[in-house]
Amino acid sequence: MKIPPILRRINHNMLKIWRSADQVARAKAVETIEYEVEELDNIFGIIVLGAFIGIASPPIQLTLELIPVMEKEFETMIGKVSTAHDPLGELFSVLSID
Amino acid sequence: MIPWENCSLCSVLIERMVVKQELHFFIGKGGVGKSTTSALCAIHYAEQAHDTLLVSMDPAHNQRDIFCRKFSEKPVDVSQHLTVKEVDTDYWIAKYLEDTEKQIHRAYGYHTAFNLQSCFNVLRFSPGLEEYAMLLAFENVLHASARKDIIIFDMPPTALSLKFFSLPFITLVWLDELMKLRKRIYAKKEIISRIKLGAKSIEQDRVLTRLEELIHMYCHVRDHFISPDTHINLVMNCDRLSSAEAVRIKKRLDDIGIPVRRIVLNKVTPKENDTCDLNELDPKEVIRFPLSDAGLYGLTILNEYLKRFSPLFPPAIV
Repeated sequence: MKIPPILRRINHNMLKIWRSADQVARAKAVETIEYEVEELDNIFGIIVLGAFIGIASPPIQLTLELIPVMEKEFETMIGKVSTAHDPLGELFSVLSID
Repeated sequence: MIPWENCSLCSVLIERMVVKQELHFFIGKGGVGKSTTSALCAIHYAEQAHDTLLVSMDPAHNQRDIFCRKFSEKPVDVSQHLTVKEVDTDYWIAKYLEDTEKQIHRAYGYHTAFNLQSCFNVLRFSPGLEEYAMLLAFENVLHASARKDIIIFDMPPTALSLKFFSLPFITLVWLDELMKLRKRIYAKKEIISRIKLGAKSIEQDRVLTRLEELIHMYCHVRDHFISPDTHINLVMNCDRLSSAEAVRIKKRLDDIGIPVRRIVLNKVTPKENDTCDLNELDPKEVIRFPLSDAGLYGLTILNEYLKRFSPLFPPAIV
């Protein structure tokens, strides 16, 4: 039996809505973990690359061996410096607290 | 692909397992005669037809005064079986920083790399870089001299030598902690990926891979230091200061698990030969170098000294 075009369109749109809703739900579910990962990335960045912002760090050769593969952590660390004046504000926005 | 496939030091170490090679380190207090005794030892083994390389790791580079000729990073043949080279730590620091900068420029965005540029001008003066440069030079010597039977290292005075030997042990402690933290991050990233993307696996963490490579490399260097084919020759005189420092060096090396099997007693007078107390050091072997009445400079005089006094060197195993 041939499905009328209008039903096919409805089906297509329903699927799109369902996929979007699924993506939103998944993104919402991991929001807190993502924040935690970013914090851990930042800690890892500070431990290894601390010499660049004046914090005691591991033997310098380890920093130099790891820095070529740590651009993301370096950017996270620099990004954190800009939000450092309001850490609670950032945390509250992640946890959806008004 | 195994993570350490491209590790040059690992391939050298594997080669060394097949081709037997002895390493000798001469360490001790400044002025006790590390350079002279290491030179005599190198000449002795070369005379026994063992292909021997003498490496001056001491920034003071006394070997050029002892052999009365100039040496450099490029090994120089001194006799049929003896080659001498000097390690230039400044060269290794500069080369290492330059290579790292190139890697950053390849991996990072232009602006980030540009911002880091100024930091590298200061990094060359960072504490710890000198002993790492020595480790890089050590790696290079092993890589370039895999066919030598015996490699003898004339080490710098106590402080820098101990930092050099401690380096793999301390670095492994750091690497272990960083690995734990990195695994925590990776596990959480996997959870996020599973929820967001389903069964699709996430990209391998480059930092984790690099950490694994580094752990493997440092484990090999550490194993190298404690290998039975590596001999630590603790050089001392029969005086109170050098004895006391020798005891402290032995204790420090014992603490990190590097055995000192051999004591080299230098400038020994006939009287000291009987009275020098080595009980506290509990050596397995002692090599005695009698005091020479003339300065030991030049290959001819060094050879004459060996013929006249015949110090009892342990036979090489290679």
